[in-house]
Amino acid sequence: MNSIDTIPTEKLQAGAFKSDLKPIWCPGCGDFGVVTAITRALAAIGRPPHEIAFISGIGCSSRIPGYTTAYGFNTVHGRSLPIAQGIKIVSPELLVLVASGDGDGFSIGGGHVAHVIRRNIDITYIVMDNQIYGLTKGQLSPTSPRGRKTVTSSFGSLEDPVNPLLYVLGYGASFVAQGSPMDMAGLGKIIEEGIRFPGFAFINVQSPCVTYGEEDQQLKAQRARMQSLSALGHDPADRARAIELARDYGTKLYTGILYRNPNPPPTYGEGVAQRQEALQKQAVPRQDILKRFIPNPSA
Amino acid sequence: MSNDLIIGIAGAGGDGVVSAGESLITAAALEGYHGIMTKSFGSQIRGGEASCRLRLATQPVLNPNGPLDVAVALNWEDFRRFGGELPVESRTIVIYESATGVAVDKLPLEGVKPAVVFSVPIAEMAEKNAGTDKAKNIVVAGLLAGWFGIGRDSMLVGIRKKFARKGTEVVEGNVRAFQAGLDFAESHPLKEDRRLQAAQFGQEPKLLTDGNDICAAAAIFAGCTFFGGYPITPSTEIMQFLDREIWKYGGAVMQAEDEIAGLGAVVGASFAGKKAMTATSGPGMSLKTEMLGLASIAELPLVCVNVQRGGPSTGMPTKAEQSDLFQAAFSAHGDCLRPVLAPVSVADVFGITVEAFNIAEYYQTPVILLSDQEIAQRKETVDPIDTSRFKLVERRHPTEAELAKYARFKLTESGISPISHPGMAGGNYLASGIEHNEFGRPTASGEMHAKMNEKRFRKFDPLKNRRDLFVIEGDPDAPIGLVSWGSVAGVAMEALRLATAEGLHVKLLVPKLLYPVAEQVFQDFFASVKRGLFVEQSYQAQLYRLVRMYVDIPVLVKPLAKSGSNPIQPTDVLDRLRAMVVAIQGNREHQPEPAED
Repeated sequence: MNSIDTIPTEKLQAGAFKSDLKPIWCPGCGDFGVVTAITRALAAIGRPPHEIAFISGIGCSSRIPGYTTAYGFNTVHGRSLPIAQGIKIVSPELLVLVASGDGDGFSIGGGHVAHVIRRNIDITYIVMDNQIYGLTKGQLSPTSPRGRKTVTSSFGSLEDPVNPLLYVLGYGASFVAQGSPMDMAGLGKIIEEGIRFPGFAFINVQSPCVTYGEEDQQLKAQRARMQSLSALGHDPADRARAIELARDYGTKLYTGILYRNPNPPPTYGEGVAQRQEALQKQAVPRQDILKRFIPNPSA
Repeated sequence: MSNDLIIGIAGAGGDGVVSAGESLITAAALEGYHGIMTKSFGSQIRGGEASCRLRLATQPVLNPNGPLDVAVALNWEDFRRFGGELPVESRTIVIYESATGVAVDKLPLEGVKPAVVFSVPIAEMAEKNAGTDKAKNIVVAGLLAGWFGIGRDSMLVGIRKKFARKGTEVVEGNVRAFQAGLDFAESHPLKEDRRLQAAQFGQEPKLLTDGNDICAAAAIFAGCTFFGGYPITPSTEIMQFLDREIWKYGGAVMQAEDEIAGLGAVVGASFAGKKAMTATSGPGMSLKTEMLGLASIAELPLVCVNVQRGGPSTGMPTKAEQSDLFQAAFSAHGDCLRPVLAPVSVADVFGITVEAFNIAEYYQTPVILLSDQEIAQRKETVDPIDTSRFKLVERRHPTEAELAKYARFKLTESGISPISHPGMAGGNYLASGIEHNEFGRPTASGEMHAKMNEKRFRKFDPLKNRRDLFVIEGDPDAPIGLVSWGSVAGVAMEALRLATAEGLHVKLLVPKLLYPVAEQVFQDFFASVKRGLFVEQSYQAQLYRLVRMYVDIPVLVKPLAKSGSNPIQPTDVLDRLRAMVVAIQGNREHQPEPAED
């Protein structure tokens, strides 16, 4: 069963997905907009909160599951993807969301990204990218631009940043999008599309850090740089063009769906279900499992 | 006649050494003998030297150790590479390939004169009868069946079945090669009859398996439906077995990108309400520790098998050691307790694995199952197990009333709280690695942290009273006590039997629950003890030191501990026990016995 097949009996409003836990975020943090966009997307999908598992790692952004009414799991730094995959494999009927940040997702947890993509596990991965470590108070992040001065790069960063969009396209992701809380309606729509996509969906959200972020990353500055991909006439089925556009990460801020594979590969879950069905007739009763150790002289 | 026969076979990779051993132990199992077979290889992936040790007996075999009754050398260079693993003594019957050109009185065995030596043209017999020297293992099986009376008929049946696909000519060639071995033995009879006596329990065939396969089978029996892991020697066969089987039961295996992701996926599966497991060895265990801490604070059940090998770091991947006990007990930062279980034999792995799942589910905790390379990879005969004896435990779900105001981490009297999972209406909660209150909400309150820590420890109190997880043998009032665990416990058990047969008053404690340390069980055991030994395979004597953290054990109880890949012989233990008896009789109450090593 696909995660979105359940037909809601009554329409849930976005408010039904917001918990009463008070966010720890600084006033004006971009993540407030992200949680709102997520709850709107969930309301549009209409699955009840208890059928949603929302997993995160560590960082400001990773507090998000607690601010929703879904089953949440605020795990350890960089490991939200493996945990979410375990959930989705054993409970394919659940809607599984993952929230992460640039440090959690592309530094300490970066090694998992390639693998969730090649497995094509049907989960939606939302990275709140603010180019800085906010929770630990302003250190260099893997998406910080070269030369950026922070408390751990006092004389300027000596490293080129990771390009998250190009990374995931390179790994073969079938759904790649970018949004900003500046455009809440658009972001909600992108997240909804990501959830509806049958397979792994990656959404990079330019969610500025009001406390440690640079002036040029704040929402006001974003507005000047934001460019809607649909207004540009971009065809999301055009992977080559998507890769071209992704190269502008860091200079331009495209919003919308960068790439949506028109012929996505089968999901991992489909493979698991087919295999289970094909093999279930061969199962000996569990209590007889030891019989397979009766010695076989011709082995 | 013999009732306990130890056979060692060594040769080059491709000589069929292991295959010969497997034919013998399979035949022995079918005939109702008890047996253990271990394999040992050089570090090459293919080729290189190969050996196996086979111990067959009419009584349960407690360990594979001891000097060889029979040594088979397909060439001497490779045989000698195994040194102490294949010790030849004056009672050993040596059988070797005559093509080696070594004279029977010039064997390259320094300072040992074996009881009997046979130079046999093994390759020539294979070539002549089967048309290929690949049948050397069949000739060896025939020789051993002939001289020691094991498995003649069942091996013939096996040969016929095994080669059936290759046509009549191949079948008959191999049968002739086997017969040639039998004939050679018959025409060169041993002066002393060393044939194995008939097995005691009639015709009932035993099971034949190894610790990894039976661990995986036990996981399926226990209801495990998810395995996430990463290949690592010597644990990989657990994943391989489950990959062949678990799908049939609606489960899945995920080969993860790394050790962390393997356990991560298991944590996820457990959060989703399913029984889940991973398996690894030392280096993988080191990587998994953060995730174990997460499962502890989020109170999620899971089983993490560590098939121990020599460490530190890459260490000795194909050799057993018991040096990961400290790591298991203290695996992750913070104040935390994770139960650690250790089976003592292949057969025991079944029950201990089921127990690991039961404890994990009941106490909502990760459980570490400490196996080791020897148990994991040795083939052992197992008496048929009545699986209906094992009850399966499921995690405690919230009642309707509890769901009305659901507190996932409720501070209950037992410390065990009702656990829901995604999909369960009304059970929604936030699981977290961050400290939380009863409702799962993040907290930085010192008071709440103290309460939660206390709850997470208190819930394990009943576990320490699980006396069924301890084996105590011997004279209950004995002044001498042995303690041993894991695969080495079989050595201590055999030493206990030898000592008891000599009239020494000795007893033995084998804990299968290693952590938390069951203080009362150890205190009761040591009440009569003046002297004793912890017998274990680690440089530091890790169980000895771990128990001392919690229990005031008598000062003259000392470790007998060796680094991995240095087998401890039952006779090593026996020598120490004799010295202790002398020391006690001589009233040297406060002096260590002289035989310290």
